[in-house]
Amino acid sequence: MSEDVTAAAQMAVQKVVQKVADGVTLSEADWARLTGSHDLIALGMAADTARRRRHDDRVTFVQVLEVPLDPRDPLDSDALEAPIPPPTGEVRVTGCPDSSAAAVAAVRTTVARAGAVPVTGFALADLEDVAGHDRSRLRDVLGALREAGLAQLGEVSAAGLTDPDGALAALRDSGVQAARVTLGVATGDAALTLIRQVASWDGVGDVCRCLAPLPRTGSSPPSTGYADLRQVALARLLVDNIDSIQVDWSRYGPKLAQVALTFGADDVDSVPVTGADDQGWRRSPGEEIRRNIVGAGFTAVPRDGRFEVMEDSAESHGHRTRQS
Amino acid sequence: MSVEAVAAKVRSGGRIDRAEALTLYADASTLLLGQLADAIRARKHPSGAVTYIIDRNVNYTNVCVARCAFCAFYRPVGSGEGYVLGFDELFRKIDETLAVGGVQLLLQGGHNPDLPLEWYEDLFRAVKAKYPDFKLHALSPPELLHLSRLSLQPVSVVVARLVRAGLDSVPGGGAEILVDRARRLLNCESKATADEWLSVMRTVHQAGLRSTATMMYGSVERVDERVEHLCRLRELQDETGGFTAFITWSYQPSNTELGGVEATGVEYLRMLALSRIVLDNFDNLQASWVTQGGKVGQLSLAYGANDMGSIMIEENVVRAAGAAYCMDEAEIVRNIEDAGFVPKRRTMAYDILGDPLFRERAIPRQTELAVARAAGDTSVPAELSRYPARSRPGKQQRDAVTES
Ligand code: SF4
Repeated sequence: MSEDVTAAAQMAVQKVVQKVADGVTLSEADWARLTGSHDLIALGMAADTARRRRHDDRVTFVQVLEVPLDPRDPLDSDALEAPIPPPTGEVRVTGCPDSSAAAVAAVRTTVARAGAVPVTGFALADLEDVAGHDRSRLRDVLGALREAGLAQLGEVSAAGLTDPDGALAALRDSGVQAARVTLGVATGDAALTLIRQVASWDGVGDVCRCLAPLPRTGSSPPSTGYADLRQVALARLLVDNIDSIQVDWSRYGPKLAQVALTFGADDVDSVPVTGADDQGWRRSPGEEIRRNIVGAGFTAVPRDGRFEVMEDSAESHGHRTRQS
Repeated sequence: MSVEAVAAKVRSGGRIDRAEALTLYADASTLLLGQLADAIRARKHPSGAVTYIIDRNVNYTNVCVARCAFCAFYRPVGSGEGYVLGFDELFRKIDETLAVGGVQLLLQGGHNPDLPLEWYEDLFRAVKAKYPDFKLHALSPPELLHLSRLSLQPVSVVVARLVRAGLDSVPGGGAEILVDRARRLLNCESKATADEWLSVMRTVHQAGLRSTATMMYGSVERVDERVEHLCRLRELQDETGGFTAFITWSYQPSNTELGGVEATGVEYLRMLALSRIVLDNFDNLQASWVTQGGKVGQLSLAYGANDMGSIMIEENVVRAAGAAYCMDEAEIVRNIEDAGFVPKRRTMAYDILGDPLFRERAIPRQTELAVARAAGDTSVPAELSRYPARSRPGKQQRDAVTES
């Protein structure tokens, strides 16, 4: 690659970044420049500008206790009886229900145990299956879950829905909010296509709080750091109709999740409630996430499974340092 | 001076002083630091090449009297877990390294009182006799100082003798933080003060050898001490021009006496970018994927690094402290190309050797780094009996080897 060509490409990207900073709507050519650029820092700067416009220097995070839907392991059954530890902001039912009744029963049991802590769970695509891909039955299933105490639906997979318009309409009609839209396992161009698709969904932001743009399971070869951060930044830049861009602490690990905060992400999901490693107890996950958010130049705001702020930590240990 | 003013100075190619570096670190955004560092990288390496070396990181002994508080690797003299690699074991490692296209050993170890200077000379001579073109990038400044103290010879004599035996270049390990207040807290002042470390490097450069330079941050030091470290390296580089590259990594706390928590990924990228900005007379900055993992390791290329370091093949020190990442040549090349750069193989002196080797010939994939020795292998090399031991346990061990 010649120096002149590289410099010219960088200049072109910088111009697009300036447009983002000025709030100018980007043309198709601008998007092509952004998505085709290897200038990761310029992309990050554009995404950071866009995220600060919405969220200033706030980064929300939630500490999640997972409860398996169908505990076959006796240890998991024991875990179901255990009290909910204090920093828990969300109890998440994990797994795929085989019937509406099973889903409702699991929510009832979990809500009884969780007390005031919001209970979330389930993927909309799985509930579509349970409802036999019938729009009105899906709305009824969602309504029954809400009545059983479900605070938020866990996931709307952009890749997994057979009838996105119908599924989102059912969600809206049932009065249930979803915590996040996900892109399944998509990376690269496939992810970009899905991100654009989500950006075109009318009113999705009324029923979904976040877009979680990174793949939900590992791939071989694994995605790279560049690819992950490009995906986060492009999600923030392309998706105007969803308020938050979310990264997953447990799936991506503290280092990548923290760097992603400087590339447009503003919410951290799946921070464990308790933590230990094979060296014994280390810093608690709550302290660790605050340290990472502040270290990235933001203010840490704990939230619960309804996206409500749990306490104002800004005065204590969650406030950003001078660099931003 | 404001962040904007310092940034403008950096953009125009100016050298920043300590106070300006501190201003940048404290107040500049991570992305701005990255932008400034990336521009310097692009200026110094306009071809878009990102280099790496195929070599093996071998620790010839883990027995050490220095007892640094941040080290999870060493074993005290007399420990049942202490080891010294035999010449034949090292030859086997060289054969394996050559098989995957490797060009050198990065050879470092503990300060073992029972390995006299002659052991190193004989080892180096034996390696060069068997593998004349194979390079020995060996013995960090504190090890050279240890040998100087052990042999009662000046460092310059130790270096000259080792060069005659086959030493090619010197790794920049043991620098930690080049400020004695921090070194005292880390219990590594006695192995080498900041002045001693720099003085050994000066001697190495004056002897015509090239070396790397390193910094381990994130333990007990203050940010101004990190900046002081960078500035002292920059001053020596102005004087000798002997450093080929700079590598920084975060302190790895697991299993160490000091304990604590590791610095974050963002802190690594900020530190790397600041290093690229301050060290304006260093040509090359390496990514520390072995401590940061592949993803942040790759991101280093956007924050000032132009080199992915070594594929390592083997690693013992960082693994002992809790990090165990592995990238073989194919994986390093994939990451370089994915970031938009052109991968090139290099030597320690940054001479380009060529394009990725695995594309020229079949090289087995490597999914984990090798260790110095298999667990439970307590064998004592027979040749050790030829060298006088200094410690009581060492003497007893020599006697046992001689009798058997
Ligand atoms: S860092 Fe090196 S000198 Fe210090 S204790 Fe470990 S092996 Fe010995």
